[in-house]
Amino acid sequence: MLGKLMKYEVKATGRIFLPLFLALLIFATITRFLSSIGPEAWDTPAVISIVIYGIIMVGMFVMTLIMMIQRFYKNLLSDEGYLMLTLPVKPWQHIVSKLLVSMLWIVASIITAFISSLVIALKKGDLTNLLAEFTALYQRAIQELGSSVYIWSFEIIIMLLISLASGILITYASIALGHLFNRHKMLATFGAFIVLSTLTQIFFTILGMFPGATYLSNLHISANDIIGMQRIAHLAMAGGIIFNALLCSAYFAITNFILSKRLNLE
Amino acid sequence: MSAILECSGLTKQFGKKEALSEVNLKVERGQIVGLLGPNGSGKSTLIKLANELLTPTNGTILIGGKKPGVDTKKIVSYLPERTYLNDWMRVNQLIEMFSDFYENFNPEKAYDMLKSLKINPEDRLKTMSKGTKEKVQLILVMSREAELYLLDEPIGGVDPAARDYILQTILRNYNEKATVIISTHLISDIENILDYVIFINQGQVVLTSSVDDIRDEKGKSVDSLFREVFKC
Repeated sequence: MLGKLMKYEVKATGRIFLPLFLALLIFATITRFLSSIGPEAWDTPAVISIVIYGIIMVGMFVMTLIMMIQRFYKNLLSDEGYLMLTLPVKPWQHIVSKLLVSMLWIVASIITAFISSLVIALKKGDLTNLLAEFTALYQRAIQELGSSVYIWSFEIIIMLLISLASGILITYASIALGHLFNRHKMLATFGAFIVLSTLTQIFFTILGMFPGATYLSNLHISANDIIGMQRIAHLAMAGGIIFNALLCSAYFAITNFILSKRLNLE
Repeated sequence: MSAILECSGLTKQFGKKEALSEVNLKVERGQIVGLLGPNGSGKSTLIKLANELLTPTNGTILIGGKKPGVDTKKIVSYLPERTYLNDWMRVNQLIEMFSDFYENFNPEKAYDMLKSLKINPEDRLKTMSKGTKEKVQLILVMSREAELYLLDEPIGGVDPAARDYILQTILRNYNEKATVIISTHLISDIENILDYVIFINQGQVVLTSSVDDIRDEKGKSVDSLFREVFKC
């Protein structure tokens, strides 16, 4: 069921994002083309093209934010909710499917933005140079850190993904909390967001007061001793991941509870 | 076999307003039931509670002996009073979606009905008139082999000829073991297909009776009884 939900979620959102990605790449290509035609006559079109490219880029990221919110609010808590919430599916599956698909599009946007910037900026031979540099960097990293390069990359990726998830889940939780109010839902949603964010900050501050935490924040990472520092650094990273995961669970639990036990679809 | 729908002391409050008040009901299987009442009497509230779109303030509601949840949603086919389908989808995409999520959805039935009503499955909902959208919604709901059909104002926005077709469809697709609950105020139109009626007013059930009893004992049509009971 989760797979089916995600399939329809991707279909519903893809029709907005794929054209945007395409537009971005097209304008990157146009800009590249116009910029490389020498004479000044082409400067104005080139500038226009790059401005449009910039606008599309910004628009794309704004769209990922809007979609993230809208898919949750409009599809579950508005008219479409009459369809979605009468499907024989548990509320947590709705939450997870929307979370994963939102994350998918955010990551895809970042990758597309990166590729489009390469399309504009890369000169002949640049790609080969870049790849050579990366390989050299990679070799050096393996030399210095050994196989823990993989562990580090893995940890960093997990950390980024969990942070992304917690950002999305706090939004869902705020929308769900806003839904509890009969009137002024918008205001309640914003209020809930502020309250949740503040509680999160307080949570982190309290954590920081634990003995041992100051030890972590006062670590002096010396470049000479990266190998030795690794264990502590891994611990700190793991700690960050765990705390973020706890936040994710809390936001998820709030959202799930409201959708299962406190739903009042107008 | 248990009754298909059972309410026990069911109450729903929205802030200060009590939409449903201590409702006690038992609807048996294999009946076509009219849920009749003036605007704001609580008909839609009752139906939404059966679909887990609202949570009761008090009391219980059971579908086939179970609380509303994933299992009951599999056997309940619900037609809301509004357009609730994704506007951008085509009819055949919607049929695919319903087939995906509902095991008891019958796509051939759906395509048949679309053909009879001359609706093109390739059309997007966005391009259809309100009446046509409502017909599509009804077709999707009736193409499910459900145990309980909850139709909230199924014929309200539709022309009289289509109304007849819809009522015939409901009768024809009617599985003897299934129950259809129709909430409406167009009583004279549906009176002929009803087995049983529930009159509801201001959140309370005021009358439940078989249609035969009303006609025999009271010597009236359901429509005139309604006008009497709900006189303004």
